[in-house]
Amino acid sequence: AELRLSHQWSTGDVRHKVAQIVADEVAAADVDLEIKIFPSQSLLKAREQYKPLTRGLLDMTVLPLSYAGGQQPAYNLTLMPGLVKNHDHAARMNESPFMEAIEEIMAGDDVMVLVHGYLAGGFAAKDKCITKPEDMPGLQTRAAGKAFEQMLAGAGASIASMASSEVYNAMQSGVLDAVNTSSSSFVSYRIYEQVSCYTPAGEYALWFMYQPLLMSKSKFESLTEDQQKALLAGAEKAEAFYLDEAKKEDAVSAEVFSENGVEIAQMTAEDFEAWRTLARETSYKAFVEETPNGQQLLDLALSVE
Amino acid sequence: MAGYSTAVAARAGSNPFLRIVAALSTFAGWCSAAMIVAAVLITCQMIFVRLVLNASTVWQTEAVIYLAIAATLIGLSYVQRLRGHVNVDLFPLWLKPRARFVMALITLSASILIIAMMLYYGFEFWHFAWSRGWTSDTVWGVRLWIPYLSIPVGFGLLLLQLIADLVAVVTGADKPFGLEDA
Amino acid sequence: MDPLLLGLLVALATIFVLFSGVSVALGLLIVSAGFLLVFDGFRSLELMPEILFGKLDNFALLSIPMFIIMGASIASTRAGADLYEALERWLTRVPGGLVVSNLGACALFAAMSGSSPATCAAIGKMGIPEMRKRGYPDGVAAGSIAAGGTLGILIPPSVTMIVYGIATESSIGRLFLAGVVPGLLLVGLFMAWSLYSTWRSGNAAVLGAGSYSWTQKFEILPRVLPFLAIIAGVLYAMYGGIATPSETAAVGALLCLLIAVIIYKLWNPADLWVVLRDSTRESVMILFIIAAAGVFSYMLSSLFITQAIAEWIGTLDVNRWILMGTINIFLLIAGFFLPPVAVILMAAPILLPIITTAGFDPIWFAVVLTINMEIGLISPPVGLNLYVINGIAPDISLKTILTGSLPYVACMVLAIILLCLFPDLATWLPDAVMGASR
Ligand code: NA
Ligand code: NA
Repeated sequence: AELRLSHQWSTGDVRHKVAQIVADEVAAADVDLEIKIFPSQSLLKAREQYKPLTRGLLDMTVLPLSYAGGQQPAYNLTLMPGLVKNHDHAARMNESPFMEAIEEIMAGDDVMVLVHGYLAGGFAAKDKCITKPEDMPGLQTRAAGKAFEQMLAGAGASIASMASSEVYNAMQSGVLDAVNTSSSSFVSYRIYEQVSCYTPAGEYALWFMYQPLLMSKSKFESLTEDQQKALLAGAEKAEAFYLDEAKKEDAVSAEVFSENGVEIAQMTAEDFEAWRTLARETSYKAFVEETPNGQQLLDLALSVE
Repeated sequence: MAGYSTAVAARAGSNPFLRIVAALSTFAGWCSAAMIVAAVLITCQMIFVRLVLNASTVWQTEAVIYLAIAATLIGLSYVQRLRGHVNVDLFPLWLKPRARFVMALITLSASILIIAMMLYYGFEFWHFAWSRGWTSDTVWGVRLWIPYLSIPVGFGLLLLQLIADLVAVVTGADKPFGLEDA
Repeated sequence: MDPLLLGLLVALATIFVLFSGVSVALGLLIVSAGFLLVFDGFRSLELMPEILFGKLDNFALLSIPMFIIMGASIASTRAGADLYEALERWLTRVPGGLVVSNLGACALFAAMSGSSPATCAAIGKMGIPEMRKRGYPDGVAAGSIAAGGTLGILIPPSVTMIVYGIATESSIGRLFLAGVVPGLLLVGLFMAWSLYSTWRSGNAAVLGAGSYSWTQKFEILPRVLPFLAIIAGVLYAMYGGIATPSETAAVGALLCLLIAVIIYKLWNPADLWVVLRDSTRESVMILFIIAAAGVFSYMLSSLFITQAIAEWIGTLDVNRWILMGTINIFLLIAGFFLPPVAVILMAAPILLPIITTAGFDPIWFAVVLTINMEIGLISPPVGLNLYVINGIAPDISLKTILTGSLPYVACMVLAIILLCLFPDLATWLPDAVMGASR
């Protein structure tokens, strides 16, 4: 049998490697199952993968789950400021009742998780360092994710929406003053050439995005027991690798920026609390308002130690 | 050689069905042009808000994209009527009038079939978005059935225009491929 | 089935379907649906409308109708005539001056319009009758305008560069800049050829027909100002930190519409509708091809054809310049039959990995690709510029237009060779303005 896996990243990206590990392990298990990977949006565009997945028209994808927040508002919790503090916390998140609740919603869409994983990100700006809400007023900012847009707008920033591939040019020409995105995007789009200060994910980080390897549930159930076992074994190996690499990426990005003469700033525990207070009044509030069962899900997420 | 000529729309003659479809397509063309103009104005407004007011621009990019898509899909039938969809009529030019007529029937039927299919699945996709209450994953959070509506409407109008073109060729109101007899 | 063999089958089917006279976009949809149905099962058809919508869901694409409106609104006024007249008054003493001023007008107009047919139409409407009246051979009159019009997609703004930028995720601003120097180079080559051929023909009627006084030469200059203002405004918006290239298009479109209405008094609704109708027709035509080509490339990728071809070429151990030569011939042939956007969208995903692996710069390649597409615009059976010339001067036979454009095709081939020898021609300006290539 053959499974088709689509994702948006290049073959050098950690998320491609995660998919590749699963594909290699399954191939090595010799259970008459082949995973064909379509990287770099060569099959479907990034935001057009979830809908076909739910209808069994696509077998697998590595996807920032919040991209499907328009179909399942609960998914917006997987990219919510201040919910996750660091990578070990993220790993505990994956094992929690909160994730069980999210997986239940996925099951309703005929989708299941093979590999859990969070990636972190930070802030960068042209003329100043961004560590706390007071740094934001008046800055034209491109934020990654709806909840972050709401929070940063609450801090007084002006939000400009654009594709991440446009960020470099927009910063260069002065359309943008600040940007918030993932560590790997900061490096791959060479944002360090355009900014003076970078606040990477460190001991405290605001921006964590859940980007699992998903599979069509009925497709999985249609496989033989051996094939299912091989998939799950590959997924376990990939998940350990994913967590390891996710931790490394933040440090690597900080190094790259620093090598390019960009000042590196750190968020303090106080800063983190200030952001979180702001998030409560802005993004959390909006989330609860628009999501059925929103408060309960939010409490579940906040209760993870 | 047809395609991008300054030449004229498909002929409707006096057939009432052809005239009604022609009128519908023309109206769709006006809507399409209006949406393009709206997209221009909204984009300029966005630049003004960002540059002069230094304020947030949350909805403009999305609105403008959906307007451009709708302009394209809704405009399809009008452009079909103007024979504005570029084609390569190598075979028709080689063929004798009788064979050319048959060729026109085949290509028009194939076009009708493919657009009927796009209409069917397009409607289904729109219905999904509508019944499940999908929105876009942005702060603006547009209900997606609104922009998606341009899929069934646009393909529906194009289907009508293609059927009209077929009727015109069959009844002799228009020449196959709009080509004059060689 | 072996993906390579399947690819060959797709190519043959596509050629057959497209030659049957069905419109290019619908033809691509028909071929895609056919192959998906046979090799991927019935259910894959379900995705087609979704993919088609998704391909259009891109902010950068919006600039296509806008750059077309820019050209169309200016073309509908006396502005083109003024520009043409101004160049004529200044160049009248030069042998072949009229051809040279036509080409100059094409180049300037190209800097305001993203589309080649629009450029061709705007200048040709005045240029062709005037040249014929002054005794230039029909072939030279038609050929020079057909060729000059192709500059519309090389000199920025350019619809095809936008499409290439989207397909390859390259910076559109950088691509625009890359077209400037090669565009000027082509103008120079075109002019040189025109001067040479006029001089050789020794036709006295062609030489300075009338002469203009200095007063006449200067009084026309203010009428050219709106053009320069628009070009300067667009450049400033794009590279001066006001707007991204896609947003600049909207500013340019609004500016041009306003100039047409206010300065050139285009306030009759019927005239305005003509501008909008022509822009809508061309934009919808191009955008539908883009959407359909998107579905087509989904089919190719889904059946693993794209990947298999790229892999296969990767294993061929050939000299990179032989590879480049082959790619050019392939592009030329594709350009004969298909409109530029269709070629770019179908070829770019397959060619780009090959190009970069062989060590060629993707920005430089965009320019080479564009010049190939320019040749396609003035060659049958699908030469959009030929249709335009045909509409302007129906009594000039296609054969005459073609023979007339042939020397200009030679100029384009020469330009491609020069670009291969001196890649800096394309990459120097973007590097100088936007920093070293990424
Ligand atoms: Na141009
Ligand atoms: Na051609």
